[in-house]
Amino acid sequence: MSTLLLQLINGFSYGFLLFIITCGITIVFGILGVLNLAHGSFYLLGSYLGYSLIMKAGLPFWAALAAVPLIIAVLGYMLETIILRPTYKLGHLSQVLLTFGLAYIFHDLFAILWGKNMLVVDPPPALNMSIQLAGYSVPAYRIALIVIGLAIAIFLWFFQEKTKWGAVIRAGLSDKEMAAGLGVNIHLVFTFVFVLGSLFAGVGGVIGSPILGAFPGMEFQILILSLVVLVVGGLGSVSGTLIASLLVGFVETFSRYLVPELSLIITFALMAVVLVVRPQGLIGRRV
Amino acid sequence: MSIESVTKKTGGLLMKSFKRNAFLLIALVLLLSACSSGAINTTTKEKDKDTKTNTEEKGTIKIGALLPTSGVYASLGENLLNGMKLYFEQQNWEVAGKKIEIVQEDDESDPQVGLRKLRKLTDQDQINILTGTVSTAVAYAIRDEVDKRKLPYINSHAGGNDLTRAKRSDYIWRSSFSSWQIGHSMGEWAYKNIGKKIYVTAADYAFGHEVAEAFKAAYTAAGGKVVEEVYPPLGNNDYSSYLAKMNRDDIDGIYAFYAGSDAVRFVQQYNQYGLKGKIPLIGSGWLTAEDVRPQQGMSPDGITASIFWDYSISTPENKAFIKAYEKKYNSRPSIESAEGYDAAMIIAETIKKLNGDISDSAKVVDAMSSIKITSPRGPISFDKETHNVIQNLYIVKTSVVNGKTENKVIDTIEQVVDPGK
Amino acid sequence: MRNLPVKGPLLFLIMVFVPFFLSIFYVNLLTEIFILGVFALSLNILVGQTGMVSLGHAAFFGAGAYAAGLAAIHVSTNTFLSIAAGLLAAFLLAVIIGLFSTKANGFYFLMLTLACSQIVYSIIYQWRTVTGGSNGLTGIAPIDLGANIVLSNQVWVYYFILVVFTIVLFLINRFLHSPLGSVLIGIRENEERMKSIGYNTALYKNISFIIAGTLGGLSGSLYVIFNGFISPAEVYWTASGSVLIMVLIGGAGTLWGPVIGAAFIVILETLISSYMENWMMIIGAVFIIFVIFAPDGMVGIFNALKKFFVQPKKLEVDADEPIIKPIKQETKMDG
Repeated sequence: MSTLLLQLINGFSYGFLLFIITCGITIVFGILGVLNLAHGSFYLLGSYLGYSLIMKAGLPFWAALAAVPLIIAVLGYMLETIILRPTYKLGHLSQVLLTFGLAYIFHDLFAILWGKNMLVVDPPPALNMSIQLAGYSVPAYRIALIVIGLAIAIFLWFFQEKTKWGAVIRAGLSDKEMAAGLGVNIHLVFTFVFVLGSLFAGVGGVIGSPILGAFPGMEFQILILSLVVLVVGGLGSVSGTLIASLLVGFVETFSRYLVPELSLIITFALMAVVLVVRPQGLIGRRV
Repeated sequence: MSIESVTKKTGGLLMKSFKRNAFLLIALVLLLSACSSGAINTTTKEKDKDTKTNTEEKGTIKIGALLPTSGVYASLGENLLNGMKLYFEQQNWEVAGKKIEIVQEDDESDPQVGLRKLRKLTDQDQINILTGTVSTAVAYAIRDEVDKRKLPYINSHAGGNDLTRAKRSDYIWRSSFSSWQIGHSMGEWAYKNIGKKIYVTAADYAFGHEVAEAFKAAYTAAGGKVVEEVYPPLGNNDYSSYLAKMNRDDIDGIYAFYAGSDAVRFVQQYNQYGLKGKIPLIGSGWLTAEDVRPQQGMSPDGITASIFWDYSISTPENKAFIKAYEKKYNSRPSIESAEGYDAAMIIAETIKKLNGDISDSAKVVDAMSSIKITSPRGPISFDKETHNVIQNLYIVKTSVVNGKTENKVIDTIEQVVDPGK
Repeated sequence: MRNLPVKGPLLFLIMVFVPFFLSIFYVNLLTEIFILGVFALSLNILVGQTGMVSLGHAAFFGAGAYAAGLAAIHVSTNTFLSIAAGLLAAFLLAVIIGLFSTKANGFYFLMLTLACSQIVYSIIYQWRTVTGGSNGLTGIAPIDLGANIVLSNQVWVYYFILVVFTIVLFLINRFLHSPLGSVLIGIRENEERMKSIGYNTALYKNISFIIAGTLGGLSGSLYVIFNGFISPAEVYWTASGSVLIMVLIGGAGTLWGPVIGAAFIVILETLISSYMENWMMIIGAVFIIFVIFAPDGMVGIFNALKKFFVQPKKLEVDADEPIIKPIKQETKMDG
C-alpha cells in the first residue's frame, strides 16, 4: 500500500515536471499554429545556461531560475522577429521545418560550447535532501516540483483567463482574422506568445536540470516527450496540458512499475489512441 | 501494363537515345579503356593489395579510427582518440621507421553511417589497420566487410560478446573487453562479499543484457539467488518507480549496469530515494567511471564495481600514463582514454614485430596474436582462439576523499578469459 | 531533367558505365543513394503527391528490411524471396497503420504516423530473440538471384540495385500520370472538392499510403541486400525526419526531387563530416536556407534557372512531361 503511495507521489512529481517542460510548446502551438521543433533546444539551452550560472559562476539556484528564462526569452524574441516573422506567409509547414533546422544548428552549438559530457546541476541547498514519507525517503526537490508546477499552472490559468493580455491571446486563439479586424496587433501577439513560450522553455530547463541533467541529443528526447503531451492534452489550453502531463506521468510511472518491458510502447500507444479516438486532445478543440 | 510492353518501350527508348547520343557513348568507352582505377578493375582483379604496398613504400602507415564524434557516444569517441594520440605522440608518430597517421571518421554510432565511413577509409584513404567503434551495432555492421577485405581490425571498445564468438573473424581482435568479462568478474566476488540474494538491473540494450546475463550466471553458479530483475529503457530519465521496486528488505544488494547519463541519474536517484546505506549497490565500472563521478556528487560513495582499468591502479605504467595524459589534456583520463592508449600500443607493437612491413594481413594478425604487453591496465595478451583480450579485472570501491569521491582497487581477479561460446 | 523519357535512358547508360571510371567507394555511395532514393520517392507519393506529411516513414523501411533480413537468414538466401518478404511485411504494416492514420489530417496525421513508427521501433528494439535488439540483425548473406548466381561483388550489387531503381522510377513516373495519380493530386490540392465530386477520398488516401509504405519496404529490403545488416537506428524517428528532409530539399511533388535530395544529403553527410565535426549545423543551415528561399527544393531552383535562361526559346513540351506542380506550402498543417 505504501509502495502505491510512493508511486503516486512519483507520478505526480514526474507529471508536473512534464508540465513545466512542455507548457511552452503548447502555448506557442495553440496560438501561432507553429509547432516549434526547437522547443527541446530552448529547454536544453536553459539547462546548460543554468549549469554555467549555478555550477560555474556560483550563483544561487533561484537567481539562475530568474535570469536564465529571461535570456531564453530574449533569444526567442530575436528568433521570432528575425527568422520566423518573414516566413509567416510561407505557411505552417515551412515554419515547422525551419524550427527543425534550428534544432540541428543548436545541437552542434551546444557541443561546441558545453562539450559532450553529461552535466548535472545541484538542486538548491534547501531542497537537497530526502523527506521521509510513509516509510520511504523521497527527494525534497521532487515534492517541490509539485508545488512549482502547480504555481506555474495557476499563474498561466490566471494570466489567460483573468488578464487583458490573456483575453487578447484567447481572442487570437479562437479567430486570428477577427481579432486582427478588431484592432488587435496580431503580429505583436504572436511575438509576445513566442517569447512567453521561450521563457517557459527556459524555466523548464533550469528546473529540470537537477533531475534530468543536460547532455547532447537530450533536446530530441524532450521534444518527443513534449509532442506526446501536446497531442494528448489538446492544443493551447493550460488545463489540457496539465491533465495530459499528469496522465502521461502516471502512465509512464505505473507502466514502468508494472510492465517495465512495455513502458516504451505504452506511452506512444496512448498518444496514438488519443489521436484516433479524440484527435482534438482530451481537453481542447480543433485548431 | 504488361511487363513485355514495358521492356519493349524501354528498349525502344534506349535505341532511340543510343543513336542520338552515340558520340557520348563512344567517349565513355574511350574513357573506360583509358582509366584503370575504376571499381570494376579493383574489385575483380583484387588490386587493393598493390595500392596498400604503395602507401607503405612511402613510409607511412595509416590507421583508420572509426570513432563517433557526434551522437550519443561522442564523448567516449573523443576520449578514445585522445588516448591513441597520446601514445603515438610519445613515439613521435613513428614506429619501426614508419610514420604513423591516424585517419579519424565519425561513425555517429549509427551502423549505416559506420559502414559507409569504413568504405571511405578503405577505398579513399587506403588505411592499413582499422581500430575503433564504440557501438557494438557498428562493429557488427562492419564485421563482414572487414573480413572480406582482410583488413586487420583492433576493436578498442565495443564489447558485444559475439564479436569474438559466433562472429569472430581471422582479422578482428579485441583489446578492450567482452561484456561477459565485465559481468562475470563480479559474480563470485559479489556472492562472497555482498550476500546471497541480489536484485539485477541493467539498461535495456544488448550490452546491458549481456553483462547482466554473465553476472547472473556467475553469481548463481557460486550459489547466489537472483531475486528479481528489471531492465529500464536506455536513456531513461526517471528511475523512481524502478527504485521503488528495488526498495525491499529481502535482498542483500543490487547489481546495476548503467553508463553515461543513465549512470549519473541512476546513482543519484538511488541516493535520493534512500536506498543508499540500506541496500549495497554493485555494478560495472561505468557506474562510477572517472567521467561520470564528478556529476554524481557524493552519491557514488560506497559503490563497488568491476572494471579492467581504473584511475587508482598503482602500477608504474598507469602512473606514467595518467601523468602524461593530464599534462597533455588537462583532465583525468577515462576508461576509454586507457582503451585508446592500449589499442595504439598494440598496433605499435605489431608494427615493430614485423619491422614495419604490414603488407600481408595474415602476418599482421599472426604477429598480433602473440603480443604480450604491460599496459596501464596491467598485463594483457590475446586469446588465440577467440581473439579477445585476456586481462585482469579489478574490483573498485568508491569512497569520499577530501570532499570528492575517489575509486580504490580493493581486489583483483587475475587474467579473465572469455569462454568463447 | 523533367523530360525524363528522352534523357532517362542516357542517364541510365551513364550510370551503367560509372563503375568503369569511378572507384568502388563512389560506386557504393551511388548504390546507397539509389536505395535512399527509392525510400525518398516512396515518401514523396505521400508528401508530394497526396499532401500528407508523414513523420513515421522509417517504420516501413524497417519492416521491409527486417522481414527481408529474417527471410534471408531463416528461409532462403534467394534475393527475390527476401524482397517479396520485405514488400509483404511493409504492405501489411501499411494496411494496418493506414487504416486509422489516413483519417487524420495535417498535424494529426504527422503525429499519428510518428506514434505508430515509434511503436514499431519499440517492438523491433525489444523483441531481442528475433531482431537482435539494439545490435540489429547482422550476417545476412550476399545477394543471390537463384540458379546459383551469387553476387558477392559490390559492383554487381550496384547493377542489381540500379536496375531495380530504374524500374521503380519508371513505374512512379507512370503512376504520376495515371488516373489514380491525378486523383491523389486532386486530394492534395483540394480534398473537399474531390469529395464533393464524388471521389471516396479516404479510400484513395489509403491506397496512396499503402503504395508509399510498400515501396518504403522495398527500399528497406534493398538496404539489407546491399549492407547485409539492419539495426533499430534506421527505424528511429530521426530516420523518418531525415528522409523527409531529403524530399523537401530535393523538391516535393517532383519526380527527380527526392532522388536529388537523397544524393545531396548522403554526399553532404559523408564528405563534410570527414572535414569537420559539426556537420549537423551545416545541414541545419542549408535546410533553413532551402525552406526560406527555395521552398520548391532543388528541382524548383533548377526549373527556375531553366526558365530564366531558356525563356526566349520555346520549350519543347514533351507529351510525357510530369504536369504536377510542386507542393503548395499551405499544406493542411492547420488541421
